[in-house]
Amino acid sequence: MQIIVCIKPVPDPKYLSRVSLDETTKTLVRENVPTVINPLDKNALEAALSLRERFGGEITVISMAPESCIPVLREALAMGGDRLLVLSDTRFAGSDTLATASIIAAAIQKTGAFDLIICGNETADSGTSQVSPQLAEFLGVPNIMHVSAIEVSDDGVFRIKSRIEAGYVIAELSAPMVLSVIKELNEPRYITLMNILDAEAKDVRVLSADDMILKEPWVGLSGSPTQIVELAAPEKRAKAEILAGDARRQARALADRLYRMGFYHG
Amino acid sequence: MDDVTSKIWVFVEQRRGRIADVGLEILGKALSLAPAAGWKVAAVLLGHGITSMAERLLEYGADEVLVADEKLLEDYCGGTYVAVLERAVLRAKPEVLLIGATAMGTDLAPRLAARLRTGLSAHSIDLELDSKGELIAVIPWSGGDYLGRISCPKSRPQMATINPGIFEIPEKREPRGCIKEMDCAVSAGDHSYRIVEFYQESVAGSSLASAEVIVAGGYGIGKKEDWHYVEELASLLNGAVGSTRPPVDEGWVEHDRMIGQSGRTVYPKLYIGVGISGHMHHIVGIKKADLTIAINQDPDAAVFDHCNVGLVGDFREIIPALIEELKNK
Amino acid sequence: MDFKLTERDILLQRSIREFAEKEIPPRMDTMEETGEFPLDLLKGLADMGILGVITPKEYGGAGLGHLARILVLEQLGRVSPAMPMALQVHHMCTYALTNFGSEEQKKKYLPPLSKGEELGVVAVTEPSGGSDVAGMKTTARREGDTFILNGRKCFITNAHVSNTWIVPAMTGEGRKGMSAFIVEKNFTGAKTGHVEDKVGLRGANTGELVFQDCEVPAENLIGGEGNGMAVALGTIGNCGRPGMACVGLGILNAVIEEAVKFATERELYGKPISNLQAIQWYITEIFSDLEIARLLAYRAGWMLDNNIPADTACTLAKQWICEAAARSARKAVEIHGSYGILKEYPIQRLMRDALVAIPAGGTAEIAKLVLSRVAIKEYQK
Repeated sequence: MQIIVCIKPVPDPKYLSRVSLDETTKTLVRENVPTVINPLDKNALEAALSLRERFGGEITVISMAPESCIPVLREALAMGGDRLLVLSDTRFAGSDTLATASIIAAAIQKTGAFDLIICGNETADSGTSQVSPQLAEFLGVPNIMHVSAIEVSDDGVFRIKSRIEAGYVIAELSAPMVLSVIKELNEPRYITLMNILDAEAKDVRVLSADDMILKEPWVGLSGSPTQIVELAAPEKRAKAEILAGDARRQARALADRLYRMGFYHG
Repeated sequence: MDDVTSKIWVFVEQRRGRIADVGLEILGKALSLAPAAGWKVAAVLLGHGITSMAERLLEYGADEVLVADEKLLEDYCGGTYVAVLERAVLRAKPEVLLIGATAMGTDLAPRLAARLRTGLSAHSIDLELDSKGELIAVIPWSGGDYLGRISCPKSRPQMATINPGIFEIPEKREPRGCIKEMDCAVSAGDHSYRIVEFYQESVAGSSLASAEVIVAGGYGIGKKEDWHYVEELASLLNGAVGSTRPPVDEGWVEHDRMIGQSGRTVYPKLYIGVGISGHMHHIVGIKKADLTIAINQDPDAAVFDHCNVGLVGDFREIIPALIEELKNK
Repeated sequence: MDFKLTERDILLQRSIREFAEKEIPPRMDTMEETGEFPLDLLKGLADMGILGVITPKEYGGAGLGHLARILVLEQLGRVSPAMPMALQVHHMCTYALTNFGSEEQKKKYLPPLSKGEELGVVAVTEPSGGSDVAGMKTTARREGDTFILNGRKCFITNAHVSNTWIVPAMTGEGRKGMSAFIVEKNFTGAKTGHVEDKVGLRGANTGELVFQDCEVPAENLIGGEGNGMAVALGTIGNCGRPGMACVGLGILNAVIEEAVKFATERELYGKPISNLQAIQWYITEIFSDLEIARLLAYRAGWMLDNNIPADTACTLAKQWICEAAARSARKAVEIHGSYGILKEYPIQRLMRDALVAIPAGGTAEIAKLVLSRVAIKEYQK
């Protein structure tokens, strides 16, 4: 089974509070925030690894990212990916989801046939959840979002369970397809010391815009149909009135208030 | 289809005969935005055996209801829905196409936008429309701590997904619009997968949507064994239990309890947040609460910037004390 | 000089940190209560490559070096200092086998020690004390193809959770009268004795090994007859001391996190106490201890990896870091005020852990004695 896993380097969500807004340039400042592989992308990779364990084949990990992110992305090889393809070009900068999807699609068309593309359902930074279905559209294959279980029968029929509001649906289809997975699907494996050593011999390639055939004009900021008009911190309510005293005193003051306002009926 | 006059289209999601609230919410918002550009609003409904639902949409004020009624559209499938909508959009050329950011909407909208080669703003929490018909979608940025204002200047339709629970469902009124049929021919090739099992609880998240009191817990609860503090306080106040994303991810609480960017917006009279740091992706969901109270160990927690009243301390001490004090009333 | 960690080192730190943060905390209450090493984690530690980190690949290990081992133990110790305590002693066993064992001994004993089938130990200290290695009382008497061991080893980490023991014993007189043996727990006459109830590092088992006419095949002599002192001192010096340095380093990592957390959350006069200069000075001192500790420990590992004699560097790292851990833990307790003595705050445990780390693997006084000899020899004109 030929599997492609798309991953994205994002600011570590544990340190989101360190992100600040540059008031003059209206861009987000992410200094001092470590970069990690988007957490759900590891669930995507884990899904690919367990499928490879059963069906054999290879896992190609693809990321559109600056070359400086390669050390972080290499973790995907340590987890078990067979090779890493980094799509890196200054011309890609500022791409919105449509542009990003068209670039990744062009790279995949160049690398060859696939049975399955697996992505994290959303990223921890922008969280649009748009690239994977758009990638499927550009490649002309079906996609399913919110995937919480993947079953494959011996004759190659995929049974895909996906979450909907307060429920789920199960769809049956055959490869190729794009799946966007949620955390519920699996628990990503640990990276062992042996994995880290093995990964050092694995192939890492960088592709620029010149290495692929970009059929679409959708590349970079100028090729993106959506434009950011403004970025701002949301308005805050007035700073909360902090109740004084220890736990007991604060609790008593709040209980009085809630009772007076009729929230407690005994 | 050639006589469709509406320039704002609202995709109204239905599954198995049940209309998702978010479709009506966006319809209401679209109706309030449309006059600025002098436009009309169409509700777009796909499925099978959906005539009565189409009529209901007229009661919610739609100028037109565009219906595609076809057996192969009975269950949602990205391939068929995109094919039908693509054809309709190319013929009637709407300026704006709005879709709820539900499981279905987040699957459908990006793919349709890519097919139409147009821009899509994701998970919008507000919409603006100027007299020239330019749409601005306000979306959460960087985990929701910032807000981005996104436009789509060069391509049409201008598309956006909108979070559930942001706008109110409009009042019913005397129908004034009409129902129009869309071309619903679907090829076997469009039908890219077959639904073999479907399950949905009958009262999805309704307790949160209508709750007057909500007690919500965050990652600061620390472990599943301590989640009962949240539940006990909610139960004492006859309220519903809510949650930020991490407790859902950790499996302390069901997914339908999630409030905020990827969950729902709530309108309680009283909201109490326990162990919640105050990231915007949760805060956007509680902005409409009347009185907001936060309990957090960290006096600098961002949640205190968004609440009316703050209690600083360990919830394991404060909540039992609060329950005891209330019971003494 | 290059102080930059490699990509490999950084990835290694991150993956061990993730493992430690997920796997150890759920077991810590039990470790504290029972004083037992969490044997249910052994398989996980083995799968991660932690047990065999310095064991060559051909014997089932990860084949990494001493700096890698230090980085691994530091990350584990940041979550629970008892983990590097137990594991560093296990590593000593693998180190002794790798460096002094015969090919047959390596093939037989190293793979199970990497796979998590068992833990190992190097048992030197006796009731008469551990500092005077030459004054050892345990004896080994040759009878044909068998050595008969008699004596007791005490304060032995992993005593009750290990199967493979490297045991030095006296086969003759003087420096050349000591030989080391690989003793399996199930050998006739080999027993475990008393379990120690320590105030700190409780998640690491400590106790006695007892040999009563214990029969050890002559082929289990390691490093050759009369070479026991070299086996013992080489293993302690190059593996045990940097290992103990990691226990202290782990404690310092945890101490600074607890100190900063409390100082920035706790308010006094309406502001976090981290705004007070007295607290800021404590934080700076703890931070300095941690940074210097890292330099000392990493340098020792780097020297070992580059075959530069590292006896002094390892002794200095062990002695300085464990004392730094204790003094920084105490400062962090003081930052906590009265909360510092409450069991629900981790800082009191770190202080207890640090107290236990000081004498383990050789007292501070012996280390200082050794270091003073080095200094005088070096700088006497």
